[in-house]
Amino acid sequence: MSAPTITMDDIDRAIVAHLRKNGRATNQQIADILGLTAATVSSRIRRMEDANALRVVAVSDFSAHGYNVLLEVAIEVEGRPASEVAEELAKLPEVFAAHLVTGRYDIDVLVALHDFDGLADLMLNKLAKIHGIRSLVPAIAIDVVKYEFDVAPIEAKDG
Amino acid sequence: MATPQLDDFDRQLIEVLGRDARVSNRKIAADLGVTEGTVRGRIRRLQQEKLIAFTALTSLGTQGAVKLAFIAIQTEVDRVRAIADEIAKIPKVTGVLITMGRSNIIAICLFEELEELVTVASDQILAMPGVHHVETSIAVKTFKYNARVVKITGAGAIPEAD
Repeated sequence: MSAPTITMDDIDRAIVAHLRKNGRATNQQIADILGLTAATVSSRIRRMEDANALRVVAVSDFSAHGYNVLLEVAIEVEGRPASEVAEELAKLPEVFAAHLVTGRYDIDVLVALHDFDGLADLMLNKLAKIHGIRSLVPAIAIDVVKYEFDVAPIEAKDG
Repeated sequence: MATPQLDDFDRQLIEVLGRDARVSNRKIAADLGVTEGTVRGRIRRLQQEKLIAFTALTSLGTQGAVKLAFIAIQTEVDRVRAIADEIAKIPKVTGVLITMGRSNIIAICLFEELEELVTVASDQILAMPGVHHVETSIAVKTFKYNARVVKITGAGAIPEAD
């Protein structure tokens, strides 16, 4: 599956801006607003999607999945490549994001749990088994003031 | 945060639309064996309850090499909300969490040039009254980033076209 890199022009960006506001707008509605034909809108969306530069998706709220506890955890690694530790952490379903970072800590993860009982299972049964974690410094999210989600790594389409 | 009641049909809808939001109500209805009206009604309800939102994701890392950084901020405790609201107004800051832990606020910043991050963290945020300390860590490699499950904070329901 080859994903050609593409350059996006002003028309592409206008289409994306519209889809960000209303991802379910029909090609015809977008075409009418931007003074294009529905066929042009359709083919431009397909071109960006094929290049993995765009996905128009529904995102769902943590609460829709029953996740009521959100934690950010900074992790120090010792005696093992941090990439390996991050790779293992990324496999845990509770981990929503895992990044290698610069600074005092080595890995930053975002964890979502159904409730605080989930913390014991995560800590004692899962994190304790990952070799190389020297320390964990959690921050409990008590309020989410802003959470924009329209720029993200895009994985290749499967099927 | 009360757990909303979702049935299997809601979960199927979230799954289908999470892969591609541009599939028509008619196709979803045919695939799931329900009427178009049912699909339309459920989607509207999920949107109104802010359980789903539709968006266009563009790629992190190819769009002029966008990078991500976490900024951990220590503030005076009694000013934390006002400061968080102020930080949320910065356009390059895409996430703001009020936290209990090593800092009071964690901000997520998207930037292309290092200069932009420095401006946000060391100039704009650090200069706010009540901010004691900022600590920036740049994400140098991403192992996981689930962009489909998020916190929907936007005001009001997003209109849906039929």
